[in-house]
Amino acid sequence: MELFPSLSFSVLCIQILVGLSKATILFIVASGLTLILGVLRIPNLAHGSLYMIGAFTTYSIATAFSQSNLGFWVALLLAPLVVALIGLIMEQGLFRFLYKRDHLMMLLFTFSFTLVFADLVKLVWGSDYRSLAVPKIFQGSYLLLGMPFPRYNLFLLLLGPLFAAGLWYLTNRTLLGKISRAAAVDREMVGAVGVNVNLVYAAVFVLGCYLAGIGGALVAPTQNISQGMDHSIIIEIFLIVIIGGLGNVWGALLGAVIFGLTDAIGILVAPQFGIVFPYLAVITVLTFRPKGLLKSIW
Amino acid sequence: MLQIKSLRKSFDGFQAVKDANLSVNQGEVVAVIGPNGAGKTTLFNLVSGQLRPDAGSVLFKGEDIRGLSPYQLCRKGMSRSFQIVKIFSRMSVFENVQTAVISRMGKTSNFFTPAGGIAVKETERILEAMGLSGKRDRICGLLSHGDQKVLEMAISLGSDPQLLILDEPTAGMSSEETATTIDLMKRLSGEMGLTILFCEHDVELVFSFSDRIMVMQQGSTIIQGTPDQVRNDPQVKKAYLGGHD
Amino acid sequence: MIFGIFGKKSLPLVVLFLVGLIFMPYVAPRFYIYLVSAMLVTGLLATSLNLVLGYGGMYQFHHAVFYGVGAYTTALMLTKTSLPTWVAFVSAPLVAAFFGLVIGLICARLSSLHFGMLQISLGSLLWVIVYRWYDFTGGDDGIHGISMPAVISGTTPAYYFILAITALCLLLMFIVIKSPFGRILQALRDNPERCAAIGVNVIRHRILALVVAALFAGVAGSLFVTLEGSVFPDLLFWTLSLEILIMCLLGGWFTFFGPMLGACLIISLRTFAGNYTEYLTLILGLMMMLTIFFLPKGVLGFVNDLFRTRFPGQSLEESSHAPDKISTKII
Repeated sequence: MELFPSLSFSVLCIQILVGLSKATILFIVASGLTLILGVLRIPNLAHGSLYMIGAFTTYSIATAFSQSNLGFWVALLLAPLVVALIGLIMEQGLFRFLYKRDHLMMLLFTFSFTLVFADLVKLVWGSDYRSLAVPKIFQGSYLLLGMPFPRYNLFLLLLGPLFAAGLWYLTNRTLLGKISRAAAVDREMVGAVGVNVNLVYAAVFVLGCYLAGIGGALVAPTQNISQGMDHSIIIEIFLIVIIGGLGNVWGALLGAVIFGLTDAIGILVAPQFGIVFPYLAVITVLTFRPKGLLKSIW
Repeated sequence: MLQIKSLRKSFDGFQAVKDANLSVNQGEVVAVIGPNGAGKTTLFNLVSGQLRPDAGSVLFKGEDIRGLSPYQLCRKGMSRSFQIVKIFSRMSVFENVQTAVISRMGKTSNFFTPAGGIAVKETERILEAMGLSGKRDRICGLLSHGDQKVLEMAISLGSDPQLLILDEPTAGMSSEETATTIDLMKRLSGEMGLTILFCEHDVELVFSFSDRIMVMQQGSTIIQGTPDQVRNDPQVKKAYLGGHD
Repeated sequence: MIFGIFGKKSLPLVVLFLVGLIFMPYVAPRFYIYLVSAMLVTGLLATSLNLVLGYGGMYQFHHAVFYGVGAYTTALMLTKTSLPTWVAFVSAPLVAAFFGLVIGLICARLSSLHFGMLQISLGSLLWVIVYRWYDFTGGDDGIHGISMPAVISGTTPAYYFILAITALCLLLMFIVIKSPFGRILQALRDNPERCAAIGVNVIRHRILALVVAALFAGVAGSLFVTLEGSVFPDLLFWTLSLEILIMCLLGGWFTFFGPMLGACLIISLRTFAGNYTEYLTLILGLMMMLTIFFLPKGVLGFVNDLFRTRFPGQSLEESSHAPDKISTKII
């Protein structure tokens, strides 16, 4: 009967909730990546680096304002803007000259950005890891089904749908969203009807980077902020984007949920190899739906 | 040799081919004409396996070929050229055609003999016939558009087909190049006895040398018959030729 | 195109280079012998990647997996079994090729970016397993102090072993590229749709190409064990794959010796610049950006263009067919 002694019902439920709150951050970061992939066709490996920079910046700003209770919130507001600014400089300074190159060149170009950013982060923040306390109002846990569930994770859980709705509104109801979806399908056509495509590209790129920054800011209180967090997240969000369908924001949401859940439950089933389960899920999905679960715009 | 019956294909709700009917007999030159967007290229892609039809039948040498992939169809003796040039742009003209011959000879998984010496005579014979001998060692990505279109045909011939499908073989050519190409096609059918199915914009040209013509409009076949029958068909006059005069 | 600069006349150059490498240990200090060995091993890995990347036009994003599999096979055979040493060396490429087959069967029907990303996910899965399976692979510590038989242990004997095997593998790869199979491979790069239309089974050939590339990467992996006497999970990590992609790009991925040159350049940079600064990856990254902007065909590709006399005045990019782009067509 007790095949997995740790797998009681309440543990499972809590673990699912933890997985979903992790999925929130993954979704926010991955949606930025998928927007850039869908509209600009850039497989941006530097997305993970921007996320890392977001986390480090959040740490710095929050510590600078540590006297007041609002340190984290100020950081949550400012750090993504810093990241978005970096994104703007990247796009306007370099990427826009390379749109005609093929994906492989773009991939390597963004990879060289990850190398540069990794060392810049080391230059600015040093090699030690940093940690940030959870903001005051979300310290502690609630009791759910007799198990403790961190308040901060609940905050993340509520944030997820909010972002999904926001992105839905942005892509479906605003002019920018409509133009960028059209530009993703046929760039020349959109240019021909008098839209400034370069502006749209820049806006989407900056928005994507901003989302990476938000992800970094949100993750900062939950884990050690360290060198190497760029490497681990970028593969995860790339896989999420792939299984969801390239360029599809809902796909990113679906992918993030799959990834977060398999990860959280995998750890219960086989602690040592828990991390294997999301990858297995990805491979299973791609074996049956090579282009992802939802419609890929590629 | 080729029979198409009530073939249908739609993309995302758009019916590109609604009801196409066509038959091509051994040794014939058959043309498909129709205005832009009539579904000619889609029809060819359905025949040569690039696309899979939604409904209808395609028989090649009496055999149902729906669902076979392009490489299988090529091995059965069907070879095609593309409207938008598809060539191996980093290779020389000679290598382009030679690659097709190598593929036909089934030597594609040979790892150790140098490829340069295989099928030289046959390749040169094809180049000679197509008038490309003089450009043998040119990198074909650098050729003029007209030469690239001719090379397309040469590559298709490298597969030694029984049925040659040409998608707008003269698109984008100068009138001079067009004349040479038509001449080439005439010789291919006359001297080598090839069956040719092609589609073309230039109506005069089509009437001048095809055995039979199929007219397509909005994805459906209007008529198939000899040039005279087609010319005198009231429906065609109204729908297609009338608009041009 | 393959020999580059001087056409077939560069054969003497290659022989001269080889002779120089053979006599190098008599004059060079030990450190340089080790360094050149490392360059050869990495260069072999990069060349095997280029077989599918530059010649095959496939988005081989995670080639290091096969390198790691080869290295771990040799290491595990040598430490966990009492089979003769040669078995460990022969089985490495075979096991790597087998992984190539499996990954190829799963990925080959996909195109461009999907192909590459699925490969990364499969590779990452393998990496995770190696990283976590302490009992078998030593986990994140890896396996250290693997002893080699006397003939190939020590810097100089290992160097000669590596030189011989690398030279042999390069020769084999050169033959493969010149063979009908190699021709079809390049045809697949230039235009997969046309390839299918002339009767080539595209998927089958992509899988075959992947297997061949994995085989040679496996050889490079076992040579790494010969050189270092250790293995660790970083050998299968995706950043290494990107690094060898960069080597191919830097050296010139439409040339045969480009990847080897790229490997030499990057390893030298690492070794010598490492003495002056700890911000090495920063320099590497900036260098890459400059290469992509100004030398998109890599060093050898650039030199080739300088010496190209066939079509002075017109470069391929200006023509309608921008052959510089690796085809991304779906098939």
